[in-house]
Amino acid sequence: MTGRVARGLVFGLIVAIVLVPLYWMAATSLKSNKEITQEGTLYPQDPSLDNFRKLFAEKEFGHYLLNSIVVTGVSVLVSLVLGSLAAYAIARFRLVLRLERRIGLALLTVRIVPAVVILIPVYLLILKLDLLDTWLGLIIIYTALNITFVVWMMESFFREIPTDLEEAAMVDGDSRLSAFRRIVVPLAAPGLVATAIFAVIVTFNEFLFALVLTATPDAMTMPRGTATLIGRIDVDTASMAAAGVLGALPIVIFALIVQRHLVRGLTLGAIK
Amino acid sequence: MHGGRSAVKERRQWAGFERALPYLLLAPAVLVVLAVLVYPLWDGIKASTDFYRFGRPIESVGLENYTDLWSDPQFRNALWVTVRFVTLAVAIETVLGLALALFCASELRGVRFLRTALIVPMVITPVVVGIVFRLIYATEAGMLTVVSEKLGGDPVLILSDPTKAFLGLVVLDVWEWTPLMFLILLAGVQSLPVEPIEAARVDGAGAWRTFVDHTLPMLRPVLAVAIVLRTIDAFGTFDQVFVLTRGGPGEATRLVSIYGYDTAFKFQQVGYAAALFVTVGLIVLAFALVAVRLLRRVETA
Repeated sequence: MTGRVARGLVFGLIVAIVLVPLYWMAATSLKSNKEITQEGTLYPQDPSLDNFRKLFAEKEFGHYLLNSIVVTGVSVLVSLVLGSLAAYAIARFRLVLRLERRIGLALLTVRIVPAVVILIPVYLLILKLDLLDTWLGLIIIYTALNITFVVWMMESFFREIPTDLEEAAMVDGDSRLSAFRRIVVPLAAPGLVATAIFAVIVTFNEFLFALVLTATPDAMTMPRGTATLIGRIDVDTASMAAAGVLGALPIVIFALIVQRHLVRGLTLGAIK
Repeated sequence: MHGGRSAVKERRQWAGFERALPYLLLAPAVLVVLAVLVYPLWDGIKASTDFYRFGRPIESVGLENYTDLWSDPQFRNALWVTVRFVTLAVAIETVLGLALALFCASELRGVRFLRTALIVPMVITPVVVGIVFRLIYATEAGMLTVVSEKLGGDPVLILSDPTKAFLGLVVLDVWEWTPLMFLILLAGVQSLPVEPIEAARVDGAGAWRTFVDHTLPMLRPVLAVAIVLRTIDAFGTFDQVFVLTRGGPGEATRLVSIYGYDTAFKFQQVGYAAALFVTVGLIVLAFALVAVRLLRRVETA
């Protein structure tokens, strides 16, 4: 009995440690600046959405959100298609020079190098292509970064599918590609979903390349716009908190909706 | 079909396509990665041997940027801060994550509820995590100051004190990433066979001995992978620091990523910054290689 009480207490403590910092940001976003600086209250006395209204009226948060959705959506979709095809080739075929193994290993190595290492040359490349401050500039780099991840994840999902099923379909007259489409893809769907979710979260949250490659609300993503806003000297605490809430909301809502797949993807990806 | 000969020809063409298929499947992904990640890497290595600033003629300086780097006290400080940050944060996250995973392994209903809460820190935008902790640490009207004053104390100074700011950054990282450690290790703990542990218990071994002699050795592969992944990831930490302290006060929280960014985009020393990032990349790669080799040895032993 005491064991159960102790366990409950520990669980409660953990949840509190996770939630209290978030509560503080949310509470601050609902206070006025006068209340924040002069009264030092623990919860909003007179909660209002004024801070949010101000952000949407003066700042470009609608743009940031749109840019984030387009850039994330396109790059995740493209990398999922290209990455899955490559992963299937690596998982199923033996190529000359054991190319399938070498390419898999090379992609993993590229993935290990922290993204910050290629920051400057990527900046120079996008500058040369005249794609600074555009959706396409971000989409190109995010697609490439995602591909290394998609190949790595999907390869192991494809390997789990027994080859008999495709071979049976091919005996029955399917070509390799139609067997892939009709048999393999549906079976790998849970893996695809987990991979896509993970890629969406990482891409939506990306900041470093967005910081360097975008400069105006035409292309700035949510994290980039949020950081710019709170980097201004005249920013007040209330706006900062509201910007934080807005910046976090889309991806947190997304993650909570898909959380069952998310936990599987996270832990699978790490253990494999 | 137009007679036997063309059918044979068609079949032969089809066989050729079948043979080329895997290469065709691989090509688009490989080309994109080559063009967008590998070519820039090569370009970066080339740039690292140049002395140039935006808008000035480039001159080649060979390896001078690299030798300069090692005598640059600011770089050595940044590297030292990074190593301290990564070691401390990952160590705390591992111990906390492991303790929690063991504690929760037998409790499935509570864990499901706990999981929902734990997802939030690791999926929330890192830039926003920086904001969350700035609102906590702020001297004026920050959460710590408000609570302290409610209890009759003084305002709390975190971000203006070098040691406290550094520890504050570690706390941020622990808050953000212990959940991932926990979830990975929980999956690891739950996949362990129960027999050896129960046998040890029947033999009268205490909880601690059972843990050290049986649970820990069986868990080592998962533990090692989790630590390596987290270490590599932590080495590239940028967003949170950019928002929380920008590397300050002084150089107390200036990680290599922040110093490299400032060198390139604030001080416009592109070649020097490229050399810095190549060096950082080599350090991380060397760490990963050593870690993988050690892992293999553990697995075969």
